[in-house]
Amino acid sequence: METLSDTSTPAKRPPAPKTIHRWFIAIPFLIAIVWSLIGLNITLSRLLDAPGDAWSILRQMVPPAFDEVYERGAVGKIFESVYIAWIGTIIGAFASLPLAFLAAHNVAPIWIRSPIRQLFNAIRAVPELILAVILIPITGLGAWAGTLAIGLHSIGTLGKWACESIEDIDEGPIEATRACGGKWVSGMRWGVLPQVMPVISSYWLFRFEINVRASAVLGMIGAGGVGSELVSQLSFRNFPAASAVLIMTMAVVLTIDTISAAVRRRIIKGAVTTDEDSRTLAAITDLTGIRS
Amino acid sequence: MNDHTNTSERPVKPKPRARSFFIALVLLALTFWAAIKVSFDISTFWEVWTNPIWSMFWPIPWDWVFTKENTFDPLIETLQIAITSTLVGCLLALPISFAMSSLTTPNKVIYFISKTVMNLVRAVPDLFWAKLLVTAIGIGAFAGAWSLTIFSLAVMVKLFSETVDAADPRPLEAARSSGARHLPAVKAGVLPTVFPSYVAYSLYIFELNIRASVVLGLVGAGGVGRVIETQRQFFRFDRILGLLIIIFGIVWVIEQISVSLRKRLV
Repeated sequence: METLSDTSTPAKRPPAPKTIHRWFIAIPFLIAIVWSLIGLNITLSRLLDAPGDAWSILRQMVPPAFDEVYERGAVGKIFESVYIAWIGTIIGAFASLPLAFLAAHNVAPIWIRSPIRQLFNAIRAVPELILAVILIPITGLGAWAGTLAIGLHSIGTLGKWACESIEDIDEGPIEATRACGGKWVSGMRWGVLPQVMPVISSYWLFRFEINVRASAVLGMIGAGGVGSELVSQLSFRNFPAASAVLIMTMAVVLTIDTISAAVRRRIIKGAVTTDEDSRTLAAITDLTGIRS
Repeated sequence: MNDHTNTSERPVKPKPRARSFFIALVLLALTFWAAIKVSFDISTFWEVWTNPIWSMFWPIPWDWVFTKENTFDPLIETLQIAITSTLVGCLLALPISFAMSSLTTPNKVIYFISKTVMNLVRAVPDLFWAKLLVTAIGIGAFAGAWSLTIFSLAVMVKLFSETVDAADPRPLEAARSSGARHLPAVKAGVLPTVFPSYVAYSLYIFELNIRASVVLGLVGAGGVGRVIETQRQFFRFDRILGLLIIIFGIVWVIEQISVSLRKRLV
């Protein structure tokens, strides 16, 4: 009987965890935000005006003037962006592949891998646009400056990703080549390369997708491609033409993304579980370094 | 015993298929065509070292670089753009990501609309957004903050909705079976499991934004890029080089802090 009466009085809730330490995180956070908002002079009236301004521009963008930009040769400019991205990716891929072998901790000695790792990090820290700013006076305005900027920047990321996939391999095949009397190079060629090539080539494709966007942007500072077209249309406030350029660029970017994603999925089929309609979570994990 | 002296026959090498040849040929032709189009010039790689332009990069005028108005004020503006847009973008991304994940979406229509809109937004490169907003709402950091907000929203939604997709569905099921409505069920069943990733991604977005806000000024959207753009027009590459060294020193320090926080979180 007593056990029954016990159930009528509910059991005591466990004490709630203390929340005081949250304030140590929240207060610096709030100060940083308020400081930024004041520094940028963001007032309520400006915030409320902005959507109206954006809307009036957006209204002028419809309908897009496809004929006009087609006659100006915008299609050629978009393809120039794609070419820049393609050649840039190839430069990055060819330069990064040997470097990645020298940077992986399981196949290279420390005195050679640490400077190369630092090189990868240094390259990745500088955005393509800044590289292009430095390269334009050297090569002159035009597509070659953009290509070099993209190629150089790709070395950093591609090298890092390739190096990480080399570090994840099964080391048995290297040992086998060594047991047959193979030197370091043949160990890499026959023991490592066949294992990592599918993953690395899918990284190249992934980087190509990123580079298409980057090369479109590079045109804005005169390094070739569709960016210059958008900038000039917007400067003349020719909004129908600007929106046509924008829509065409988006169409090309999305098409390349779709094709490349399909090819990548085919290359690494079975290696990673894929979502039906999105890039793999694994690729994001590699991109961000966040392992969830 | 004889068997040892006889080497066994090698397996037949698989013949490459005609289709592979065809694909390789097409890719090669495309590469050559693209190389011509971008005026590929391999001599750049060795001629670059003797290029007379290098004298314009050196020596660095440090007394010009180390001033408040030339470097530190624009740099602070850059930082403020990054903080504001990270905060606003990531806050907006939280509900949209839940709408975009097949696990937690309230209904198919919202799922489809949000997914399509966000894919379209992401197809526009970040500096295109900056240029568009500079044209629409005027030159300055305000347009820059808006454009980075849109950009970080698009990236964050992509990263986070895929994390939500991969979340454990069982707590959500438990909450639903005990009669919870949609939002409370998501809040109690999914949010706690994915919240650490959310914070980590936010820090990652902050790093992206710091880097992006350095170049925003090149299209007139405020921050330290504005100084780079001005000096570029005067061909003062020595000043640009000095600025870049300072900028990337500071960006590197901020990144290291953010990375170490992220490592502790996940």
